[in-house]
Amino acid sequence: MGAFLVKRLGFAVVTLWAVLSLVFVVVRIVPGDPAQVILGDQADATAIAAMRTRLGLDAPLIEQYWTFLTGAIRGDWGVSLVTGRPVIQEILSVLPWTLELTVVSMLIGVAIGVPLGVWAAINRNRMPDYVTRIASLLGLSFPPFVSAIILLILFAIMLRWFPVISARSGSASAWFQSMALPALNLGLIMAAYITRVARSAMLEVMQEDYVRSARAKGVPWRVVVWRHALRNALIPVITVVGLYLGILIGNSVLTEIVFNRPGLGKLIVGALNQRDYTMLQGMMVIYTLIVVLVNIATDLTYAFVDPRVKLS
Amino acid sequence: MKKTGLVIAAALAGALLGSPALAQKTVLTVGMQSTDAGVLDPHLNSGTPGKAMLQWMFNGLVRIKPGELSPEFMEPDLAESWTSSTDGKEWTFKLRQGVQCHLGYGEFTSEDAVYSLARAANKETSAFSSDYAAFDKVEAPDKYTVKITLKQAIPSLLGIVMNYHGGNMVCKKAAEELGKEGFAKKPVGTGPFMFQEYVPQQYAKLVANPNYFRGKPKLTEILYRFIPSDSSRDLAFQSGELDMMLGRQEQAWVDRMNALPGVKVVAMGPAEMSMLHLNMSQPPLDNLKVRQAIAYAIDRNAIWQFRGKNISRPAVSVVPSGYLGTDEKAPLYPFDLAKSKALLAEAGFPNGVTVKAINTTLPSMLSFTEATQALLKRAGITLEIQPVEHATFHQQIRQDLSQVVHFQAARFPIADVYLSQFFHSRAIVKTPTAVTNFSHCNVADAEIDAARSETDKAKQLALWKTAQEKIIKEVCAIPVNEMMQLWAYKDSLDLGYDLKASLNLGPPVLETTRFTK
Repeated sequence: MGAFLVKRLGFAVVTLWAVLSLVFVVVRIVPGDPAQVILGDQADATAIAAMRTRLGLDAPLIEQYWTFLTGAIRGDWGVSLVTGRPVIQEILSVLPWTLELTVVSMLIGVAIGVPLGVWAAINRNRMPDYVTRIASLLGLSFPPFVSAIILLILFAIMLRWFPVISARSGSASAWFQSMALPALNLGLIMAAYITRVARSAMLEVMQEDYVRSARAKGVPWRVVVWRHALRNALIPVITVVGLYLGILIGNSVLTEIVFNRPGLGKLIVGALNQRDYTMLQGMMVIYTLIVVLVNIATDLTYAFVDPRVKLS
Repeated sequence: MKKTGLVIAAALAGALLGSPALAQKTVLTVGMQSTDAGVLDPHLNSGTPGKAMLQWMFNGLVRIKPGELSPEFMEPDLAESWTSSTDGKEWTFKLRQGVQCHLGYGEFTSEDAVYSLARAANKETSAFSSDYAAFDKVEAPDKYTVKITLKQAIPSLLGIVMNYHGGNMVCKKAAEELGKEGFAKKPVGTGPFMFQEYVPQQYAKLVANPNYFRGKPKLTEILYRFIPSDSSRDLAFQSGELDMMLGRQEQAWVDRMNALPGVKVVAMGPAEMSMLHLNMSQPPLDNLKVRQAIAYAIDRNAIWQFRGKNISRPAVSVVPSGYLGTDEKAPLYPFDLAKSKALLAEAGFPNGVTVKAINTTLPSMLSFTEATQALLKRAGITLEIQPVEHATFHQQIRQDLSQVVHFQAARFPIADVYLSQFFHSRAIVKTPTAVTNFSHCNVADAEIDAARSETDKAKQLALWKTAQEKIIKEVCAIPVNEMMQLWAYKDSLDLGYDLKASLNLGPPVLETTRFTK
């Protein structure tokens, strides 16, 4: 276990370095001049050149790379080129919003997806299976910003249960109000993915010998399904949950924009539009870190669910 | 378990009960299309979201009457009166007495005004320093007098000491005490509203300044929300969570908003003029006849209809209408397809020409260029559009990479600004003094320069008129139409003035602004 963690963390560091270097290069290849964006249309060439110097953008690339890398190691990710506030501070101020949304959406996804998948599998080629398959297909086909607008029109405009602008002031009801629709929006997409995987995994496991023998021994059907089969079917489901976390974070960009929730998604869109190099670099570190950590957590969860999995 | 159930039930009940309440009638909630307002320092922020908000907190020495645009409506702000020497090089302003800076930073005096102007002129502390290049010195002969001496006369000194860009007056003690970064997080001015809180990606909160020199504001608070999604902003406005919001430059949006009860939609100035700049340094556009053929092929009225009758209007000159010095009856080329084709043939292109345009992907600007493309096609002119993301567009057109540049802009409403930035040879792209002269136009330098320092108003207007005629004749650019700024607000909101325009791109919120119900 210890050796596994050390190895994985070492791998994580290398991944982070590779991503950082890649991001550094890519961000600079993309056309568009941050100095121009900051100063606006009317700035003359001299003012733009002065701004570039002030931002350190006229230094040789290798020097910029070194400053960036050593800074990142020290935990200094520089200041946003646009707002002048420290990158780390900006990210940390909105990170909890995205994490919270992601976790709640994932819980909704699992809570809906796993039982639905199992239900579809044990009723293969019967009505519940068809209904579930169509529903999950619908869930997968809906772009998250479209479903977001539909949820807003239904629950915020027609029923008036929730505000359009997410806001939170610390009370339980305010938290619920700001979370319900965005989490439902993402949770339903996640549920669609999980339902499909859970269904096919269950179908596969139900063919296994041990399930047949359990049934032959007269173990009750409910016990066979929920104790014997599901436990094994969960492994691919966990993989999917881990893998789709990336997709979830990607979808959260659109969800955050439509529901007007603060978060990494909103931050990255703003940074991209304004060519805020330092902010983009910082964001990529955070995204990579999240994905790497989730992968490690996924591996650890396998071992927890299935004792036969050896972490080595 | 029971407890959890109770909490959920309470949360649900709270959610239901706490659903969008009617806005408190003294709190104004404004929705802006952005994720942030950027730096909150008035001398650094040039973006629409920042400018619209900063004007509620800052004053200039003078201001344009709220709701108006033209410099002819200039009126006192922090200065009660002013005089200038006959050669226009010396200006003396008498300040109002007893004006208080926000947050107890003391009385605003000439020392603060001198400090503000020096700060605006310094490129380390200001994005607008080049506007103050003609400043020789700014002095404070006494506590309430400010004297500005210029190296040479400029078209509008008042335009750069008004509550716009570098003309915003900051309080010296606060700016020094807080430092450049601190001040950008906690701006201190003298305006009707004071900065209170900034929550990234969510909102900025301003509260009424009880000591405002024109009287205590009737509104107690302004909540300025950042809502980048157009649909969400519309829905939030519809659900009553916003009292005022920035609209979209689309006729369909105006029609939809006008259909809602209790809503007022305003298409206000300054209009952004859409102009096609033709790169005269490259073939085939180096040929005057080809440029004229393009000019004759563009039907301004058709584009006006296409973009929306309530939100746009046809251009009148190479300077937007309503600016000081615009030739409202400039001799623009009329739409004449036959003449266009004939000119092309005369120029040696009987089978037509192909020109390339790098264009932004911003939907309203791209659709304009596409409509133009369709019009030009009828004359045998193929416009190849290369769409790129907005920041890339700005970079590439400044690298002289586009033969045709569709640029849409509003400027300080004096002919000089548009003429010098778009048509003076000093501003040609890829030169050290480049601004936005994409066409390499240089036919009216003498008139533009002479008008800058001309103190006789009639002569100045005549020079600007000649400059416009020359630029139009040479077809450096083809002005097509002007797009208005769109805002919607509840009709129960009485702004306290007639909103026709706002140089800061957001409606001014004054001490008299209030809700009527």
